[in-house]
Amino acid sequence: MQSKITIKRGINIRLAGKAEMTLRSFESDFHAIMPTDFLFLSPKLLIKEGDSVKIGTPLFCDKEQESIRLVAPVSGTITEIRRGEKRRIEAIIIQNNKLYEAEEIQISAEPNREEIVDTLLRSGLWPMIRRRPFDSIANPQEKPRDIFISGFDSAPLAPDFRFIIQDKQKEFQKGLSIIRQLTEGKIYLSLPYGEDYSIFENIEHIELRYIKGPHPAGNIGTQIHHIAPIKKGEGVWHLDPWQVTRIGHLFLHQQIEFTKRIPLCGSEIQKPQYLEIRDGASIGKVIRETIRQEHVRIISGNVLTGQKITSEGFVGFYDRQVTVIAEGGQRELLGWLLPGINKWSFSHTFLSFLFPKKEYKPNTSLQGGRRTLMMNDVYDHVFPFDILPVELYKACRIKDAALMEKLGLYEITPEDVALCELICPSKIEWQQVIREGLEQLYKER
Amino acid sequence: MKKLEKWSEQIGKLFEKGKPLHPFYALFDALDTFLLTPKEVTGRGCHIRDAVDMKRTMITVMIALFPPLLVGLWNIGYQHFLSMGMTVSLWEAFFFGFLKWLPLVITVYVSGLTVEIIFAQRRGHQVAEGFFVTGFLIPMILPPDIPLWIVALATIFAVIFGKEVFGGTGYNFLNPALLARAFIFFAYPTVISGDQVWIAEKADSYSGATPLAEAMIGNIAQLPSIAELCIGNIPGSIGETSKIAILIGALLLVFTRVANLKIMLSVIAGGLTMGFIFNLIGTLPIMEIPAYQQLLMGGFLFGTVYMATDPVTGPHTSQGKILYGFLIGIFAILIRVANKGYPEGMMLAILLMNIFAPLIDYCVIQLNIRKRLRRNHA
Repeated sequence: MQSKITIKRGINIRLAGKAEMTLRSFESDFHAIMPTDFLFLSPKLLIKEGDSVKIGTPLFCDKEQESIRLVAPVSGTITEIRRGEKRRIEAIIIQNNKLYEAEEIQISAEPNREEIVDTLLRSGLWPMIRRRPFDSIANPQEKPRDIFISGFDSAPLAPDFRFIIQDKQKEFQKGLSIIRQLTEGKIYLSLPYGEDYSIFENIEHIELRYIKGPHPAGNIGTQIHHIAPIKKGEGVWHLDPWQVTRIGHLFLHQQIEFTKRIPLCGSEIQKPQYLEIRDGASIGKVIRETIRQEHVRIISGNVLTGQKITSEGFVGFYDRQVTVIAEGGQRELLGWLLPGINKWSFSHTFLSFLFPKKEYKPNTSLQGGRRTLMMNDVYDHVFPFDILPVELYKACRIKDAALMEKLGLYEITPEDVALCELICPSKIEWQQVIREGLEQLYKER
Repeated sequence: MKKLEKWSEQIGKLFEKGKPLHPFYALFDALDTFLLTPKEVTGRGCHIRDAVDMKRTMITVMIALFPPLLVGLWNIGYQHFLSMGMTVSLWEAFFFGFLKWLPLVITVYVSGLTVEIIFAQRRGHQVAEGFFVTGFLIPMILPPDIPLWIVALATIFAVIFGKEVFGGTGYNFLNPALLARAFIFFAYPTVISGDQVWIAEKADSYSGATPLAEAMIGNIAQLPSIAELCIGNIPGSIGETSKIAILIGALLLVFTRVANLKIMLSVIAGGLTMGFIFNLIGTLPIMEIPAYQQLLMGGFLFGTVYMATDPVTGPHTSQGKILYGFLIGIFAILIRVANKGYPEGMMLAILLMNIFAPLIDYCVIQLNIRKRLRRNHA
C-alpha cells in the first residue's frame, strides 16, 4: 500500500508541444556559465578572457565562500566575459573546442563525508545542491536536517525523469548512496501517486513519499512543506534525480559529468523532443531548425518560472527544459466580452471551461491591465501551503521583514507563487515581489 | 482590426506626456483598452497569463446582476399599474420600469466616472473597472422614484470618501455602493424609507409598504406569500425583490469562481441562526416570522450575493471571510428586528462588518503566526 500525501490546491495546464521520448544529442559551439543563475552569490573571477580551459577548470568562486566554485562544462577558450549594469558579471562564455579534455580528479574508493564534500566542491558539482530557505547554493560547512529529491516535475511540459535516467540507474543508485552520507537526517524521494515509477523504487536507505495532486505537487517547496516543513533556523538541501546521477557518475567512473537531458518543447517547436547537451549550451541552432515561425519567445525553463533568452542565449544552470511559445502582443477587439473558447483561464469566465481536456497554444500576452490586488480569494485555490498568500504579498510590498518571516516567507521561493501569478486577474508580478522580499530577508537575517 | 489598432496608436500619440491632450490620457486609455485588449506582454516571471483580468471579472458580475435587474424593472411597472388598479402586459410593465431606471443609471455613471477619471489622471493610474459594478449596483438598491440630484450627490460622496481618499479601487474599506445608499439614508431619510417611496408614481390610496414594514407594525397577515417573495412582485428596491433571479445570479458568480460561495453560505447560516433565536424569544410579531422567511424578505439575499462577497471590503483571509459572513447574517436580522426606526438591516450590517474586517483579518493572521511559532518551538 502506498501511503500518499494529497495536495488539493493547484492546477495542471495542458499546453501543446510535449516532447516525444526520443533523445538527440547536440554539440554546441558556445557555452556559458551565468553567475546570475545562483542566488545570493557574488562571483570572484578565476580566469580572464582568452584563457584556455578544460572540463572542470574553475571559472569563478563565491566571494564569501571561496570553496564553492563554478567550473567549465567543456574545454576550449574563454571568448567573452559579459558584463551588464554596474559591471555585474552576466556570463562567462567559452568557445567549445570539441576535444572534451578534462581536469584530473582524485577520488578515494571509500570516501567519508569530508572527502565527499571536498570532491564535490573540487569537481564543480557542488553548486547543484541547493539549500532551503532561500534556494542559495548549499553551505559546505552546514549539516542539513534532511535532503529532498523530487522524482517528478509537474510544471507544464516538464521532463519525465523516468525517461532521462532510464539508462543511468546504476549512477542514480550510487549518487543516492553518496548523498546519503551528507546528512544525518533523512533522504526523501517523492514520486507521483498512482503512476509507475518502479525504476525509483526498491532503493535502500531512502524515504519514499507519494504525492497526489496537480502542479505544484512536483515542486520541492510544496513537498518539503507537506513532508517535513522547515522551522526557522533549519536548513534542508535539495536536488533533482538527474543531478543525483551526475554525482553517482563522478564517484562511479571518476569523471566529471556535465551533460544534461532536457526537453525542447512548446507549441512553436515542430518536433518537440529531448536534447542531450552540456551545461550552459547555446541551442539557438537547433531551435532555428525546428521552429514554426519567427515571432517566438524562447524560455530557458518552463513557462511559469523560466528565463526569457534570445536565440543566441544559453540554457540556465538549473533549468530542466527549454520551452518555445508564440510571442503575444496582438490586440483583440472587445476582448473582455468575447466568449473565449481558445483562451485558457482558471476562472470559468470564458467558455473554454467546456473543454477541460483541450491542449492550449499559449502566447505571452499579459491579457489585461495591471491593477491593485482585488480578487484576494482566488490565490488560495493554487497555493498549497499553510501560509496566507495575500498577507505575505502585502508584507513584501511594505518591506516589513519581521512580518514576512512571521508569515513564513522562508518556507517558499518565487517558483512556489508562480501559479498565483499565472491566475492573477490584477496581473501582479508575484514572483518578483516574493523575490524582493526574500532578498531583503536574506540581507537582514 | 489592424486599421483600428493603427488608428488607436496614432490617436494615442496625441495623449502622450508633453502633448496638449495629456490631461485626458486616463480617459483615452480607458476607452482604448475598452475597445482593444492591451498589447503588453509578460516580462520577468510567468511567461503566460490567465485570460481573465479585472475587466472580465467585473463584466461577469454585471452579467450576474442582469436577472434581478430585469425582474426588478418589470416589477417597477407592475407595482405602478397595480396601485392604479390596472393590469398591463409584461412588456408595458417592463418598459415603464426601464424608463424609470435609465435616468438613474445614467446619473450614477456620469457623476461617478467623472470623479474616477479625474482621480486616475491626477494619480497617473488607469481607470479601474470597479466602478462599473458599483455604478450598476447603486440604482438597484434604491427606490425607483428617488430624485436624481440626490443620487448624483450620493454617488460622488461614495466615490470620493468611500474610495478615492483611501487610494482608489482596491484600497477602500467600505462598500462604495452601500455607502452611497447609507449617505442617502442618513442625509435624506424621507426619500428612502416609509410607505410612500417604493412604488413609482403610486396612487395615493394604495398602501405601498414593503413586507418588512408590514411585519414591523405587526401585520403578519398582510405579508406576501412565499411564492411572491421568491418571484419578486412586491414593493422594494429595484434589485432586491426577486429571490429566484438573485439565486440565478449567485449560481453564475460561484460557477465562474468570481464570488466566494463560503461567504454566501455563512451569511445565510448567520441569518438563519439569528432568525431562529428570535423565533425562540418570540415576544414581537416580527420575531415570529420563520427564520427561512426572514432570508427571503428585504435586501438580505441581494446583499448576501452581491455585496457581502466584495473581496476588497471584506476580510482578505479565507477563514476570516467565513466569520465575517456569519456575523453579517446575525447583524442583518438583529438590526432588522430590534431597530424599530428602520426595518432593514442588511446595509448597516455589511457596512458595520466592513469596518470590522481588518480586525478579523488581524486575528486570523495572528493565529497563523502563532501556529508557526509553536511549530518552531516544538
